[in-house]
Amino acid sequence: MAGLDFSILPQQLVNGLLLGSIYALIALGYTMVYGVLRLINFAHGEVFMLGSYAALFTSWALGFSPESVKGIDKASSPMNLIIMLVVSMVVCGLIGVVIEQLAYRPMRNQARIASLITAIGVSLFIQYAGGLFLPQSPPPAISEQINPFRNEKVTFTIKPAPKEAVDKANVAMAKARESDVLYEKAKLDGRPAAQLETMRQANQEAQNEASSLQTQVSSQTSGIVIPFGQLGMLLTTVFLMLLLWFVVQKTKTGRAMRAVAHDFDSAALMGINVGRVVTVTFMIGSALAGAGAMMYATVLRTPLTPFLGVAPGVKAFVAAVLGGIGNIPGAVFGGVLMGVVETLVVWLDGLIPGLGGYKDAVAFVVLIAVLLFRPGGLLGSSKVEKV
Amino acid sequence: MLLATAALVLGLAGGCTPPSGTTGGTTASTTAGSTSGDPGTTPGTKRPDPTSDGATIGETINIGLVASQSGEQKPWGDDNIKGSQMAVDEVNKAGGINGKQIKLLVGDSQSAPEQGKSAALKLIADGIVGLLGEVASGITQQMAQVSKDAGIPIVAIGATRTDLADIGSNFFRVCYNDDFQGAVMAKFAWDYLKLKEVALMTDAKLPYSVGLSNSFRTSYEALGGKIVGEEKYQTTETQFSGYLSNLKAKNPAGVFLSGYFTQVGPIVSQMRQAGITVPVMGGDGWDSSDLITSGGEAIVGGFFCNHYNSKETRPEVQKFLADWKTKYGGEPGTTMGALGYDGAKLMIDAIKRAMDKGGTKSRDITAAIEDTENFPGVSGTITLKGFAGNPSKSALIVKVTKTGFVFEKSYTPEELK
Repeated sequence: MAGLDFSILPQQLVNGLLLGSIYALIALGYTMVYGVLRLINFAHGEVFMLGSYAALFTSWALGFSPESVKGIDKASSPMNLIIMLVVSMVVCGLIGVVIEQLAYRPMRNQARIASLITAIGVSLFIQYAGGLFLPQSPPPAISEQINPFRNEKVTFTIKPAPKEAVDKANVAMAKARESDVLYEKAKLDGRPAAQLETMRQANQEAQNEASSLQTQVSSQTSGIVIPFGQLGMLLTTVFLMLLLWFVVQKTKTGRAMRAVAHDFDSAALMGINVGRVVTVTFMIGSALAGAGAMMYATVLRTPLTPFLGVAPGVKAFVAAVLGGIGNIPGAVFGGVLMGVVETLVVWLDGLIPGLGGYKDAVAFVVLIAVLLFRPGGLLGSSKVEKV
Repeated sequence: MLLATAALVLGLAGGCTPPSGTTGGTTASTTAGSTSGDPGTTPGTKRPDPTSDGATIGETINIGLVASQSGEQKPWGDDNIKGSQMAVDEVNKAGGINGKQIKLLVGDSQSAPEQGKSAALKLIADGIVGLLGEVASGITQQMAQVSKDAGIPIVAIGATRTDLADIGSNFFRVCYNDDFQGAVMAKFAWDYLKLKEVALMTDAKLPYSVGLSNSFRTSYEALGGKIVGEEKYQTTETQFSGYLSNLKAKNPAGVFLSGYFTQVGPIVSQMRQAGITVPVMGGDGWDSSDLITSGGEAIVGGFFCNHYNSKETRPEVQKFLADWKTKYGGEPGTTMGALGYDGAKLMIDAIKRAMDKGGTKSRDITAAIEDTENFPGVSGTITLKGFAGNPSKSALIVKVTKTGFVFEKSYTPEELK
């Protein structure tokens, strides 16, 4: 068991990238709010959680509740996914604004620690209120049938499997299908039990042969497999990040946001409506979390609980700090780094058995190591803050 | 400032992780292997006796039940309570035990070992003479400890982890144990599915899962099979792509997943996405119709070991299902309905036998449970006498289909010898 398998390294890096892109989306919300308000919005993970529930309820409303898809194959269209994404983003955007207005605005002129404690309070409030009102046990999952691309994947081959192996697998597959048809027919014909059992065994062996040869081919192929849905997830994330970059760099609102981030009081003196800028910042940050939540629940197939936001929330926060909190490219970079480090630790499990269980701990070790040498984060400025 | 907030977040994360029902009690020692040919018994080990006589049987007979009324394992807890309550109501309606009515006191374990322990302590303080529960082995471990200290007999409903029976001579269960279950699945994989190389996926935080994986490994290797790899995840995880890429490189012909349905569904679903198409198998932790929702198309065709099947024609099963339908409507969603019913019925039967012999204390009830022979349960005939708490019972293997679980094959303890 020991020893590293380098043929799966590219795949593991891609796994990490995919996971990291979600962390990055959440991290953006932390970093943007910190940028304008110098506030760690601890309730951000809970906004993420509510976004995943928004996606769940939308999927039910679209006719994909567990009862209505039980035992049948229901056709879906990409439109359903877009509707879920938009609903999640809108719901989260609104929730973000409500939280800001009700919880943080009254604290704006108090000591910063008061806002911080409020943030923790809001976070716990949403978790446990969610526990009262949201469906949670057993953890509901969004039906995979809503994803029309669930069986498609994109393969980037670096080195294909030997042709003989592929041929062998294809022959075995054809044989297995044939044998299955024969066996099913025999069952319907009502053959004697002993004869059926022999046929079943032969059929089973044919199926095993086919499935193991198939897996063999896919493990001999060195390359990367990305399920179509996850590729879509990555592209959506990149698109949203570019959109964010455009908004922040090229629009009037974005310029106002940058001004407020640079100096809150001076920006206000220059006639910028800081209240509106803060509201917009919360809205955008929360909407990004909503997009991440929808994809996390639908494409990555995560069952939902009111505590769903805790782990990704903490990791995204770490990602934001790692990249340099307040720095937008830093949050993206930090998120992807966290995802990749986490997956690599699982990969290294082959060398050091048991290491995989410490993957979260290793992520924090990376954080500490980075902060020791660059206290401002990887891309952040390391100016000393007077507290 | 930054480090301070980071530390704060860490504290926060630790403080508000959901009750997962899995923490604590991760000692990995099992008796797997020592009993591979003889699953019903744990020979050679003398189980420690409780020192206390326990509670006295009062005017009303109080029986305690700890079950997960909230948290991840709620589907099991709900069915367990319904089943046990049905048994109690049935006996009360027929006049109780020698004229005395029975009261079922229920405590919520919240799917967590620590909560299960406090629930059991509270029930004991309330004056129960016998304790029922739990479904999860991690929770039962805690309950067995406190009930041994109090001298109260405990009948576990679905806790299959093998070494639980070593805690005390007051511990019994109505389900088989993991030594048997692992051996059954190993034989099934080797003989029936003809798989030569299998990989394991274990929930490292669940005592149940660790024990079952070990037992499967021992039996499967003894049959001549090869375990090509084992990936260990943690209950709270939701993304398994890293583990699955590792698993795929080992090229297994089948995968045995010993965890609970709450994780198995998502894992198998992600497994198919990663391009692993081989057959999947598991233990009774898979038993919930929610497995089909979370596992989707990928879980269809999987096999797992279960306690009984609602299609059986035995009169006990048919009567149980008819009564359930009248009382609650429909069919129980998990087998814990039947096991909860059996546990309560077995406890009541033992209390009656103890009282008939003039017994008044919990110690007498413990002795009566130990004497149980050929008790006709819904989940099969249960004999505990001489088996050190572990009943000798058959196991059924069911296949997952799109609409439910279908019987595939059954194994009796004799068939495994």
